[in-house]
Amino acid sequence: MFHLLTTEWLKIKRYRTFWILAGLFLLLMPLWNYEIAHGFIKMGGGKNGINFLNSAYTFPEVWGNLGWWGSIFILFISILVIILTTNEYSFRTNRQNVIDGWSRLQFFHAKVLVVFALAIVATLYLFLLGMLFGWLNSGYLYGLFGHFSQVGYFFILSLDYLGFALLIAILVRRSGLAIGLFLLYSMIIENILRSIINHFADKPYGNLLMLQSSDELLPFPLMQMAGKMMGMGQEISMNIYAITAVAWCIIYYFICRLILTRNDW
Amino acid sequence: MPPILSIQNISKSYGPVQALKGVSFDVPEGSVYGILGPNGSGKTTLLGIMLDVLLANEGSFSWFGGSSHAEARKQIGSLLETPNFYHYLSAYNNLEISAAIKQHGLADRERVLRQVGLLERKDSKFQSFSLGMKQRLAIGAALLGSPKVLVLDEPTNGLDPAGIAEIRELIRKLNKEGLTVIIASHLLDEVEKVCTHVAILKRGNLLLNGPVNEVLLSEDQIEIAAPDMNNLRITMQSMPGIKKITPAENKFQLLCEPGIDAIKVNEYCISKGIILSHLLIKKKSLESKFMELTN
Repeated sequence: MFHLLTTEWLKIKRYRTFWILAGLFLLLMPLWNYEIAHGFIKMGGGKNGINFLNSAYTFPEVWGNLGWWGSIFILFISILVIILTTNEYSFRTNRQNVIDGWSRLQFFHAKVLVVFALAIVATLYLFLLGMLFGWLNSGYLYGLFGHFSQVGYFFILSLDYLGFALLIAILVRRSGLAIGLFLLYSMIIENILRSIINHFADKPYGNLLMLQSSDELLPFPLMQMAGKMMGMGQEISMNIYAITAVAWCIIYYFICRLILTRNDW
Repeated sequence: MPPILSIQNISKSYGPVQALKGVSFDVPEGSVYGILGPNGSGKTTLLGIMLDVLLANEGSFSWFGGSSHAEARKQIGSLLETPNFYHYLSAYNNLEISAAIKQHGLADRERVLRQVGLLERKDSKFQSFSLGMKQRLAIGAALLGSPKVLVLDEPTNGLDPAGIAEIRELIRKLNKEGLTVIIASHLLDEVEKVCTHVAILKRGNLLLNGPVNEVLLSEDQIEIAAPDMNNLRITMQSMPGIKKITPAENKFQLLCEPGIDAIKVNEYCISKGIILSHLLIKKKSLESKFMELTN
């Protein structure tokens, strides 16, 4: 297993696109959150905008807030997964890897391990940023572990997004089309599907869709606050969302596996 | 000794097009096995199946008497269709990935790059290579870690005449050292020069296969000439075992029954008082055989 991951690393470590996208993720995440925490980015814009969010960078709210922004920034990494996978098809190195002695499943598992590794690194980074922001804004570490489950939720969300990106890449094989479909689905198509399902169902089952189930784990902090103030209960529990997101990941795995073992390369 | 590769009844179709129809043959150890056929005859499909990148609809194959396919491929150096490498990596780093997957051959990279004449370009990116250089790199990758078998699909594609000769020499040398080589090509000349065995495919059918001598020997012709051609013809007509005499440019071409060779013809002529001025064994060329079979 380690051998698969180290071989993938040989492909990645000299790939400039990887470093640019990963670097942007690493750079923009703290920068963006810093701007928000210090009121540079406000609702309404300009100097008179309202700064709702800076309080949320203290413990324990920091986790939920960083996690929510993280769910947007993870798109960088998702696109990276798509590029790394579709590259194999456009260079036909998927064939070469198999010809050189990997089984088809080993080729697939190498990519799955990359997805896990990226999700772990993204989660660790979120944890580090959370510690830093929380400590700087709270001035103490008290309450650090409040809402700490949200770090775990971010890991599930990362896995869900990156796994879905891998599925699209393996289905479509072409990078431009795969990136387009991925962004369209995550930003528009899923919202349409969700609204339709939620309109007709007695519970918001539309929230259990592929990416939405993990988005629900890290809701926009203001909405969550507003919801609490208005006394709205959650209709579907966090546990159900977490289990659903993990179940989607397992489904992606088996669909990819089926595609890769049943078709010509 | 089990064959290096045994193919049993492989069929493959792409939708309505049947690319291979029940192809079976064995590749003996130590042979240079040529798979011949015109464009679209199913050569690459067959190689793709035996390297597991394509799936056969029917039939099976086994390497080395039945070891796991993935493990077998680690002992096989292959070049299938086009050179497949990471465009953004150098020749050297591309070979590092191949070696990592094969789990051997990392220390071998300089040697194979020297062998295919790319050592001084080892740090250049693959995307900067010409077609011939890409092909050379692919052959180099196939040689990594001293494989037991080479599978080469049109190995001289894109190479200049010197490169073609180099590859031919390389195949001969490696075969002498004990490697089995499976080579698919439509360049008959190339195959004829190096192969010990051939299999000829046409539209997915295996037309014939076996050792080159056997497949082609029965068709040998003997060419003779003498000062008195008329007398020669009359004499040859009386010789037992001569099936046909064809005149050609002041010579006769004889089609003989098995057992009649140049010595016998010569002896017979001398016994009849004819001194030959020309005696030549003409192997029917693979090309004429091939054209005959595939048209």
